[in-house]
Amino acid sequence: MESQGQGEVCSPETLAYMELAIEQAKHALDCLEVPVGCVMVESGNVIASGRNRTTETRNATRHAEMEAIDVLLEQWQKNGLSVSEVAEIFSKCTLYVTCEPCIMCAAALSILGIKEVYYGCANDKFGGCGSILSLHSSSNQPHNSGEVAQGKGFKCTGGIMASEAVSLLRCFYEQGNPNAPKPHRSVTLQATHN
Amino acid sequence: MVNEKTELWQIIHIPDKPPISPAEQPTVNAFASVIEPKLANTFIRRLNQIAPLENLRHVKRIQKRNDEKGKNQLSVILCLASETENDKQSNNLPENVQELINSYQLSPFITKVCKYAATSREEWEEQCKLWPTSYHPPTYNINGITGFGEEDSQSVFDFMKVAVDLAKSGGGLMVNAAVIVDPSVQQIIATGHDQIYSWHNKTGTENSHLKKPASFASNLNSNGASHLTVFPNNLHNGPERLYVGVSCLSPWQWCGQQLDMETSCYLHPLRHAAIVAIESSAERDRRLFPGLLHTEKSFEVESMQSSCAGSPAKRQKTNLANVEDGKELDAHSEATSVRPYLCTGYDIYLVWEPCTMCAMALVHQRIRRIFYAFPNPNAGALGSVHRLQGEKSLNHHYAVFRVVLPQ
Ligand SMILES: [Zn+2]
Ligand SMILES: [Zn+2]
Repeated sequence: MESQGQGEVCSPETLAYMELAIEQAKHALDCLEVPVGCVMVESGNVIASGRNRTTETRNATRHAEMEAIDVLLEQWQKNGLSVSEVAEIFSKCTLYVTCEPCIMCAAALSILGIKEVYYGCANDKFGGCGSILSLHSSSNQPHNSGEVAQGKGFKCTGGIMASEAVSLLRCFYEQGNPNAPKPHRSVTLQATHN
Repeated sequence: MVNEKTELWQIIHIPDKPPISPAEQPTVNAFASVIEPKLANTFIRRLNQIAPLENLRHVKRIQKRNDEKGKNQLSVILCLASETENDKQSNNLPENVQELINSYQLSPFITKVCKYAATSREEWEEQCKLWPTSYHPPTYNINGITGFGEEDSQSVFDFMKVAVDLAKSGGGLMVNAAVIVDPSVQQIIATGHDQIYSWHNKTGTENSHLKKPASFASNLNSNGASHLTVFPNNLHNGPERLYVGVSCLSPWQWCGQQLDMETSCYLHPLRHAAIVAIESSAERDRRLFPGLLHTEKSFEVESMQSSCAGSPAKRQKTNLANVEDGKELDAHSEATSVRPYLCTGYDIYLVWEPCTMCAMALVHQRIRRIFYAFPNPNAGALGSVHRLQGEKSLNHHYAVFRVVLPQ
């Protein structure tokens, strides 16, 4: 589960943002979802957060990243931002996510032209930022002149608070979350683990 | 009567691995010799004893070819040769092979044979140009890999027509379109087409889009103007400009040129047809089976594997072990006969080969088969740029087909 970047000195801000992503992951765990969470940061401000909602929505594409992206687009839609403004903000966004973005999410982040990603643990099965595909480093040339360059890369650093991210996942897969026995969950928890 | 249309349509399986031309396939050297046809059986029997082709079971021992005079000529592989061996230098042969050569007055020569068994019919045909091999089409338990019956083909074509019509429904601008089908009952489960500039859904989840098909159509009309604003000249810029609105073909286009659009109202760069259709099918699932969430823990457990999360080594050890894949669940639970887990068992029809984001979304949602009409050389993830159906690490694999349209 270790990945590049581990052992590197990361700034207190990076850790603080990842802490917030972990909070989101814990929230997912409380809701019996796969505990993956993220926050989107622009100019030092957290502008959106998200966590996995695949079970609740019965839509296996509702990963934390997708949730956060929808929050942003909805907000910008309401605020009447122009398309170029949307593109510009995305290009300044940094994502902090507890688990390496999967191939789908990594492709989505490239489509949006995001600036940078920090992630916790690697995603051995579906990872799109180095584990299975390396969509963050892709920069295909346009096939026809006049076309927008196909594929935007983004800077990507893994291993930030990876052990916290992994232990949440382990909690989930092995026995649920032992720290937070909430009454409204006890029944369903039993059902999960009988 | 043969349906004329059926003859023009074609369904082509897109395999897990790209076909490799024989020039690029690894080969090994072998000693071969022309033999008397009547001695073929004797040679095969003897050689299989003294020089079996252990790791080359796909390679045929005998090659039958017409010589210059059009006469049948048989050659047999005697034994493997080292890669540095010259044609005339056959001193390194095993003793008993040498004896055979001597007693039948053979003149051995070096030939190349393909090292690995062919993975597709195309590859096999290529291999046989070198030296004949055998080919066993893989036996997937997925319907349709080895060919479609007439009835199945017709239904594939019919559903593809629905997708193509949907792709044209946006007016002058072509978009990608998706139709999710339950093939067991020939029923359309959900449809969707690109909504890059026509996203109107507020929450992206919940029940705000219960009336999707109807509101979707009206939304298209009310936003027709924004389409035109974004691509004002597409009809005058040649045919390729007509496809500039196909999300999967140019996923990065949304922020490109021609953006004189005033606001980002309705903008969502990720609302590709497949994503929209998946959302619609999930919404249908929640609507038709609202109470099933808590009685189906096994499904939820399974869904964890499909999600973004990594896989701590031990997580399979509990009750996950026997929920390997959706089909198995079918056998265990009555509920699945009406409510499959995600899109297990469903097919999707797409007009264009999906981009990487969409192709991976279809892995997550457990689609069984993907049919697409046009390849996507810029960004396609089912053979063009990437080939997700061949990524072994993924927890689900669909079969992929291209449907060639007439004309
Ligand atoms: Zn993801
Ligand atoms: Zn796409």
